Formats: sequence, C-alpha cells, structure tokens
Amino acid sequence: MKAGHFFKPGGSLRTAIAIAFLAAAWFHPHGGAAQLAYIGPGAGIAFLGSFLTLIAGFFLSLLSLFLWPFRMAWRAFRRRKSLRHAQVKKIIFLGLDGFDPQTTERLMAEGKLPNLARLAAEGSYSRLRTTFPSLSPVAWSTFATGVSPARHNIFDFLDRSLKSYQPRLSSARVGKPERVLRLGRRRIPFSRPILELRRKSRPFWKILGERGIGSTILRVPVTFPPEKFDGRLLSAMSTPDLKGTQGSFSQFTTRIEKATYENGSRYPLRRDGGGFAGEIEGPDDMFVEGGAPLRIPFRIERRGGACELRVQRWRCRLDPGQYTDWQRLSFRTALGVAVSGKARFLLTETDPEFSVYMSPINIDPERPALPISHPPYYAVYLANLLGSYATVGMAEDTWALNEGVIDEDAFLEQAWSIFEEREAMFRDALETTRRGVVACVFDTSDRLQHMFYRRTGTADRHAGTIEEMYRRMDALAGRTLAFADRHTAVFVLSDHGFCAFRRGVNINSWLRENGYLHLRNGDGESGSFFEGVDWGRTRAYALGLGGFYLNLQGREARGIVAAHEADQLKREIAGRLAALRDNNGAAPIRTVYQTASLYRGPYLDAAPDFIVGYNEGYRCSWEGAVGKVAAEVLSDNHKAWSGDHCVDPVLVPGVLFANRKIAAADPGIEDLAPTALRLFGIAPPAWMEGKPLL
Amino acid sequence: MNIKLKKELGQKVKKVAAAGGYSSPEEFVEHVLEREIAKLEDAQSDEEIVRKLKGLGYID
Repeated sequence: MKAGHFFKPGGSLRTAIAIAFLAAAWFHPHGGAAQLAYIGPGAGIAFLGSFLTLIAGFFLSLLSLFLWPFRMAWRAFRRRKSLRHAQVKKIIFLGLDGFDPQTTERLMAEGKLPNLARLAAEGSYSRLRTTFPSLSPVAWSTFATGVSPARHNIFDFLDRSLKSYQPRLSSARVGKPERVLRLGRRRIPFSRPILELRRKSRPFWKILGERGIGSTILRVPVTFPPEKFDGRLLSAMSTPDLKGTQGSFSQFTTRIEKATYENGSRYPLRRDGGGFAGEIEGPDDMFVEGGAPLRIPFRIERRGGACELRVQRWRCRLDPGQYTDWQRLSFRTALGVAVSGKARFLLTETDPEFSVYMSPINIDPERPALPISHPPYYAVYLANLLGSYATVGMAEDTWALNEGVIDEDAFLEQAWSIFEEREAMFRDALETTRRGVVACVFDTSDRLQHMFYRRTGTADRHAGTIEEMYRRMDALAGRTLAFADRHTAVFVLSDHGFCAFRRGVNINSWLRENGYLHLRNGDGESGSFFEGVDWGRTRAYALGLGGFYLNLQGREARGIVAAHEADQLKREIAGRLAALRDNNGAAPIRTVYQTASLYRGPYLDAAPDFIVGYNEGYRCSWEGAVGKVAAEVLSDNHKAWSGDHCVDPVLVPGVLFANRKIAAADPGIEDLAPTALRLFGIAPPAWMEGKPLL
Repeated sequence: MNIKLKKELGQKVKKVAAAGGYSSPEEFVEHVLEREIAKLEDAQSDEEIVRKLKGLGYID
C-alpha cells in the first residue's frame, strides 16, 4: 500500500470478511477462546477457557441471537429520539498529535497546506488552548472527557507510588491475576489479570452511546484497556507490548557475546555454519514460579547475496534496509498455552558484523493476548480486513533511533508505514459510518517532530522532513474532507504544539542544591528513581515530565512537610525556581505554576504540587524525569529526540480547524467533548468544564 | 458487585458527587473506596514497575 492511497475494499468484501470472522469465532475453538481467555503479557495469564465457560458462552450466544431483533429495534428507537434535535449526522475528528500552530500558519501562508487553508477559509481556524501540562495523555484525556486533569486524573505520563516513591504509568495498570493455584513450581491462574484504565470521568463517546449514537474511536491516547460502550474502539497510548513494557526493541548482533539490557535489549548472534543463530526473548512464563522469559530460537541462512530468517514454521527474506512484514511469534508456556505477538525485522548491517533489529513484540491483533479493542473482535476484524498492524501504545520506535540501532531512514519508513496502517483503519471507519462519530489520532506528526526538530533549517538531508510531514498531513486532511457532506462536522485538531529541546533542567538537582532534597551520601549523585535519597530530610522531589511534588506528611509514606507549612513552602520554592538562570543568563523557566491554582476537581490531590512552565528550548532533563539527582542542574540534550512540548503550555497551543464557523475567542481542548454532544442535540452534563463551540 | 446504600446516604452521595465534579455517583464511591484501600495495599515490586516503563520515549 502506498502512502496517500487508501485501501479500497468493496462493501461485499468487508461483509464477507466480517461474516467469515464471526463464523470462525463461532465454530473454531481458538477463535472462541480469543474472547473468553485473555493472556496477560508479562504481567499474568488468565485462562478461562474451561468447559463450563464454553457451555455458558454457547447458551448466552443463543440467547443473544434470539434477542438481537429486539435490541436493534430498541436501539433504533433511542437513536431516533436522540437525533431529533441533532444538528449533524456525523462528526469527524482528525487528531494530528503535536501539530504546531506556528509551523502550520507559516506553511499555510506559503501556500503549502492547501487543504487546511481551504478548511480555514470556508470554516474556521484558531489556536487551541491545551492542558497544564501540555502532554498528550493529559490533553487527549481532556479531549475525551471535556474536563480538566483534576477531574480525569491524568497529570503526566508518570505518577508515583505514595508508599515507595517509585514511578507508575499514570494511565493504565496491568497486574498479575490475584487468584493463583500453586502446584509445585507451576502456577495456574484462576482469575483474569488486573487491567485498569486509570483515566476517570466519562468520555463523550460513552454518553453518545447511551443515547444510541455509535462512535468509532481509533487510537485516541489513554484508551487502554478499552472501556465498554456503544461503538468501536482501538486502544492507543499505554497499550503494552507482549513483554508488558511500553515498547522494547531487540537487536541481534555478532558484536556482543552476552545479552545486555543497557539502553535496549541486545542479544548475541552466533555464527553457525554459513549463517547465524539466536534466540528471541519474549514475555515471562507466568505459569512457572519465578517466570523466566519464554524464548524462540531462530536461524538466519545466507544464500548468495540473500539472507533468510527462519523462525518456527515461517521463513522470510531479509534485505538490508527493508522491513519484513509483521511476523507472528508464538511463545509456548509451560502449560502449553501459546501467547502470540507480532514483530517486524530489519537487517541493519551484514559485513563484517551482522545485526538485525526487531521491533517491540506487539500484541497480535488477530489473537490479542490482552483486550486492545472494544468490542474484542474489532481488532481482529481490522487485521483480517487490512492486514496486521502495530498495536503497542507508542508504536514508532524513537528509542531505537535514539540508541542508533536503526538510522533515520529506517525510522521514517517505520513511522510512515504505521501512518498508512492507521489511515486504512480510518478510511474503513469513514466508509462504514453513516451516523455518529469517527475519531482518529495520528501520532506521526508528534514523533517526527521529536526526532527531526534539530535538522530543520540546517543543510542536512533531513532538513525538510518535518515540512514534508506537514504537507502529508494536509493531504490526509484533504482526503478526510472528501467524506464530509453538509450534515457532517469536521474538526482537525492537535493536542499541543512543538518547540526545540536544547537544554535539560534537572529539578531534582536544583532541589538538592537549594536544600530541599538530600542524599544519604551527601553531595554525590543519586541513582534513578530516587536511589540514595534521604526521605527523612527531603521536602520536595520531581518525577515525570510536567512537575514536582512536596514530600507531604500524611500523603507520602515518609513525608516530612506538615500541612500548615505547605503553602508557604510552595510559594518559596516557586519563587526561587523561577529565578534560575542558565550560564548565558537565559531563564530556563518561564513560570512555576501551583497546580491547586489551575484546577479544581476530586483528583487534585494526586496531581504534582507544581507544574513547571519551561521556556522554549528547555525541558526537564532526561535524568530528572526518572527521579535522578545529577551533578549539574542544566545540561545539553544530545539525543536525536530534539523537539518537545513539555514547556509552558502557553507557548505550545494546538490547532483547531473546523468546517463550520467557530466564534469562541479562546477555544480549549476541553471544549470538543461538549461540542460533540451539542451537535447531536444532547445537553452537556454539568460536570463537564468545557463549553460547546457551536 | 452491587452494594446497597441506605436511601438517605444514596441521596447524599448523589449530591456530593455532582458538587465534586464526578461524572456519576459510582465514580465518587469508587474513588473514596480506592483511596482507602490504597492505604492498606502493598506496592508492586519496584523492579517490575520500572521494567514496564521501558520504551516510553519521553524518558530515558
């Protein structure tokens, strides 16, 4: 499939695939099991495919079939009632993560974004106020719910355990099954793994579903695990890979003799005859005490100039610089249950050393080990219709590029390939939705700006990569608009803008220098995640990208700041930190916000006490984000990751295009959810803080 | 699991949930219970938590 060309299945093909899948799910034992049994990658395995469950499932299916006409009639009645006051039949949200208003406005003025310029002229364009902090999980959660972070509980990528001060993923929790039968070294789970979406409040598509208006929600961040609602959803950011991580690549190479897990997982390739041999490391075997990683041996044969990868029952050709298609990796556990993942391989060097990159092992969309869609068969339907696709939350492997395991060209090929997969899904949703909402978020715009920001304006051959991306997103907007008639509202939006990331600020180091944080070893450095911090003398600490916390008595396990001291201490720290200066006299920090002054809501006590508004060019340092106290407060950023948006949110608003006139002077990302409800004739509920724009 | 509340308490829950910015009384009750239970629960092993964060591009 080429960029810019949609896959165009006929309606009959789609119907045939859907029927074939349903039939397979009905008759095929594995297909049925896919819905009944989820196998938790790296976090626990629940096997519920017992005989009783199958029998119960069979009778429930029969009952469901019998009730189907009545349910359809009831749904049609509800929908007709709801749509009586609707202004539209369909709403399309095209989300372009990180699409920056300054770049957009410049390129529109230069005539390089004709579709968006037309949309602005015929409808409207404005900058879109983002959340504090300006981070994707925070902002897209506000998009979904119409409320501020204090009401949806997502304040950063990371939050912390109040007991151990250790980081946690803020948006989702995957835990081991709680009920396990131990038989010697074997462990047999009797319950599902714990899966928890930590985003609170209620997304607008759930409210629409309650009124019989269906939605298709594709890859909107913070939708894992998927919530039940009347519609279809494919999960995005925070969906783990099969190892349970946020995306761990593997490199197989003759350069090393022992596996190393520093800066990515690297495994030795043994020269064996004319070829090479190695092992793919998968998730831990949770059926065994201590759960060693499951492994799959593989071989690479060299024949003439060509290389062939042989894994399990499949073989594929490896050509330098060309990704393989998604390949299935089936890991067999101690109890014989197979856990399936998908990965792509890339031959990165052949002589004198030989190296192969393997993408993170994504949850197989055809045999999902964890729920990644609602309904569960939606992920399978998409894979059967369009081919396999990336499922891990942050699918573009920025880490592998940062570590030099793949080069820029390989990264770009991967990123655009993921873009094409997503566009095909989006197109299918647009083609099959007559009424309701279609929302899809594309991450390509964010990832390419992160990784190529430094190149813009240089003589480098990638100097035009970001501009080219803007043009391709404009073309995508043009193709999307072709699906809009006068009964369709179209919104093209981003969650935040972008700017350079040249210098990092380590807030933990600043806190140490200023006597708010203490180490057990005095003036040295700490390890990551506060290793070596003396909590008994520490009054504040930083974790994550957006802000930092007081070590508060009664909240943190080893908190020392009394409640009556907190306000004064907050004012003192905010004032002193804002006065920080770089070597050249520049101010790295524009504003230090006290979160309690920004938001009101029931989850405010989980928020960082401060949100740091960095100036353009600065961000929290790599080390500071993971709770490390470094020797220096300020340091250069040398990584390929050279653009960012973790700055003062005032500096990085998003964009909002609409095919209707929007009169609001200061639209915010919280306004989209109530706008969607209003357009369908539904009064926004009182808890929503956003205001309808139309 | 369904838990029955006395009528008067149920009414108060509804009021407080609405005033607090919750999207439903259920969300309010869940939040209160989760907060209390979290005080009693053990933290997950640190090693496992850190391992799960691997690959999150924004951190090193």
